Amino acid sequence: MATTALTPAASAYRSSLYEWVTTTDHKKIGILYVINSFVFFFIGGLLALGVRTQLAVPDNKLISPDLYNQLFTMHASLMLFLFVIPMLAGFGNYAVPLMIGAPDMAFPRINALSFWMLPLAGIIMITGFLVPGGAAAEGWTSYSPLAQAKYSGTGTDLWIVAVTLIGTSSILGGINFLVTIFKMRAPGMTMFRMPIMAWTVLVTSVLVVMATPVLTSALIMLFIDRNYGGHFFDPATGGNAILWQNVFWFYSHPAVYIMILPAMGIISEVLPVFSRKPLFGYKAFVFATAAIGALGFSVWAHHMFTTGSVYLPFFSFMTFLIAVPTGVKMFNWIATMYRGQLVFSTPLLYALGFLSMFLIGGINGAFSAAVPVDFALHDTYWVVAHLHYVLFGGSVFGVMAGIYYWFPKMSGRRLNETLGKVQFVLMFIGFNLTFFPMHMLGLDGMPRRIAVYASTAGWSQLNLVATIGSFIIAASMLPFLWNVFISLRSGEPAGDDPWEGNTLEWATSSPPPPYNFDHLPQIRSERPVFDVRHADTIQEGAHA
Amino acid sequence: MPTTRKPRTRLLALALPLLAFLLAGCASQIPGLYPPDPVTTEGASTRNLYDIVFLIAVVIFFLVEGLIVFAVIRYRRRPTDTELPPQIHGNNLIEIVWTVIPTIIVLFMFVVSWQALNTVDARTADPTVRIYAIANRFSWDFIYLGPDGKTPLFTTDANGDGVFGSLEVPPGVPIEVQLHSPDVIHAFYVPQFLFKRDVVPGQTNTFDFTVDPSDAGQTFRGQCAELCGVGHYTMVFEVHAANSMAEYQTWLQQQIAAQPSAPPSGAPAPSGAAPSGAAPSGAAPSGAPAPSGAPAPSGAPSGQALTVEAKNVAFVETSLQTAANQPFQIDFTNSDAGVQHNIEIKKPDGTDAFRGDIVTGPTTVTYNVPALPPGTYTFNCTVHPTMTGTLTVQ
Repeated sequence: MATTALTPAASAYRSSLYEWVTTTDHKKIGILYVINSFVFFFIGGLLALGVRTQLAVPDNKLISPDLYNQLFTMHASLMLFLFVIPMLAGFGNYAVPLMIGAPDMAFPRINALSFWMLPLAGIIMITGFLVPGGAAAEGWTSYSPLAQAKYSGTGTDLWIVAVTLIGTSSILGGINFLVTIFKMRAPGMTMFRMPIMAWTVLVTSVLVVMATPVLTSALIMLFIDRNYGGHFFDPATGGNAILWQNVFWFYSHPAVYIMILPAMGIISEVLPVFSRKPLFGYKAFVFATAAIGALGFSVWAHHMFTTGSVYLPFFSFMTFLIAVPTGVKMFNWIATMYRGQLVFSTPLLYALGFLSMFLIGGINGAFSAAVPVDFALHDTYWVVAHLHYVLFGGSVFGVMAGIYYWFPKMSGRRLNETLGKVQFVLMFIGFNLTFFPMHMLGLDGMPRRIAVYASTAGWSQLNLVATIGSFIIAASMLPFLWNVFISLRSGEPAGDDPWEGNTLEWATSSPPPPYNFDHLPQIRSERPVFDVRHADTIQEGAHA
Repeated sequence: MPTTRKPRTRLLALALPLLAFLLAGCASQIPGLYPPDPVTTEGASTRNLYDIVFLIAVVIFFLVEGLIVFAVIRYRRRPTDTELPPQIHGNNLIEIVWTVIPTIIVLFMFVVSWQALNTVDARTADPTVRIYAIANRFSWDFIYLGPDGKTPLFTTDANGDGVFGSLEVPPGVPIEVQLHSPDVIHAFYVPQFLFKRDVVPGQTNTFDFTVDPSDAGQTFRGQCAELCGVGHYTMVFEVHAANSMAEYQTWLQQQIAAQPSAPPSGAPAPSGAAPSGAAPSGAAPSGAPAPSGAPAPSGAPSGQALTVEAKNVAFVETSLQTAANQPFQIDFTNSDAGVQHNIEIKKPDGTDAFRGDIVTGPTTVTYNVPALPPGTYTFNCTVHPTMTGTLTVQ
């Protein structure tokens, strides 16, 4: 029933280098985003292995504290700014125009511009390792006064420039998504027939457009502080150290939702397809997404409970409250599987990994919302555990689900299922071995960001377990890379619709032609392709 | 295409966190899923709150994770499943149910945590002991204040035994801590207090704590919890609870008597003590005098000269040799700008053989060390016990 392209496209990855560098096709740009993000994922992962190696044994002198601080700072900066955010933007870029039946993004050249800022920013950031004094070493939060010129070197200036570029790229991308979603939907694609993925990208883009300018401004102010005597954030010259934290987290907490909402969107596409059922509670899901976006702007100061400069009850209340829409989503996902027929392909495994791990990341977040408990847990390894359960257990598992789900569409070939499952099992075990012990370390009082701990502290065994886990995660990348390599060469041809998908991208060829569709099916629900496939039985199915 | 898959592997994987939890329960030295037993009254109410939150969390975890596992096992696609499953689009009633119930749960958690917060953050108008804590890069100085909350009595860095700048407190009475930083943000964190508070330059954060009388006589480990630079991990301190108020008073009088510049309230000894902000950036406030310094060179500065550099809160030279039974010199370079270091040589039995003046870098000083009998000595920085090396005298 699938549409055949009138102008069969050449296989995407065989295009010449020139075409890739100059392309304004949202699909190629989306793939460039994904590849670029994986490059920084691997670099950031290697830095994390450095961190874990240093912490494997107590009193370790392997890595100097100076370098250690650079390693975890750059690990976090690369993972957040150059992996998670752009990776999800990449999926949005690839999938959203296809899903809403649009030929491309609203502003194709701006789209290319927002992408090409990223590798540039990444190179600038990593160049920090080559300058005297090394890369930025103040943590990805870059708290002032530590980030002021008298305490940190040129690496921090490079970091500021890089993050400013990334912020600009995000803002341009966010505007592009908003215009695309509002103005470019195919006839019949009403707002409430859009795939949830498109909704999550829409809410994410609103967050990006509202929050990122605040960060970008703050970064420029910090740059002025460091280089031109700005006095914004340094108390020694009349500035205010807490001001930095307020503006930084005003962006960076919504950024957590920028980093998780599109992953939730991916999960919300994968679960219905592999349960062979519609998403349970579509509208509730849309409202929950919007609620998370709105509440996300009122919780930033829960990162600052111990500063003594926060009205605690308000931010505690809002932080507890944001658990409600998140819980609604969790229940809707589970209800989607209820009475379904689960097909255990790799995308579903990653989606289930997301559900079970993000659940832990959500629950241990509630501990930090309880202010006195946060006094105990703040800036300990508990927080490291929490954020990785959200961003690795959540976002990374979501990203992997998206890769396995859309790879056939992107390349025309399927990834190998066996290798995919091997990767999943390794990653799931490695992830839990690495990050679950960190809860206990944090409770026992191990602070974050310490380069060395004493053998007498009692943290040795759990740290060793975490280090072993991190190497298992690294090992899980080998079957993945091998899988991508052999599947691109000789993978099973995917066909237009390998998963019996619901949304419009499965109504065109794999890979799709340059302007996506020669013909669109009628759009009468949020599952147009499902409707076409089951046109004969749809009347009866509706009664069940 | 529908690959069937045994759910057992997944179950096993899901059980991993649990397994780790159980293992931790068995081996008692390994921290488990509970914070340390609190030793302050404030910590006790935090611990009560933790227990409530933990209980709710565990119930929700098993409930939801159980539902996921159930769905995975029960609703696998079977070879007999040729027809589509029922296409259920949702149910408004159930959406309302699972919005309202979680809302009630989080409201409850908010209320109990607010109540606990009021205990933890409660302040006494009249604390028994007032302490002005200065967090420098990378050490803690604790200035004991007089009853007016302003006059400095003495600073622990002068006489600190054990960990530099360790805090001595009486049990069972409220103690007020004012936090001051002359440089970057630090955090005062004692895990057994279940509490931390940031030390923010430009503002003074104050909190109270009361050590439970049943925990008197113990020593509690503390550490900076906010990244403050290359020596962040070295910023440790200790809080020791005296056995009784009387014991504390005796200690207090000894310390005041041992102050180098005799008049307690007179000279502007510890510069940082002036309440709040003014202190203009730059050099660390305490530091300068540092008593108990190098013993006067008994005779000519003979012997060989050793060179030691402290850089990035570590000794560059960690293994030294010198000849026995003759005095020698150490040319000590402190390369860490704004950071205090010295060299303290310890005999094999742990007592001091020599303690050099604490100097703030970048600077170079020469220590004249008296003759030492043959043996293997350790040396460290008084301010940073994590900086160590060995000195072989033969």
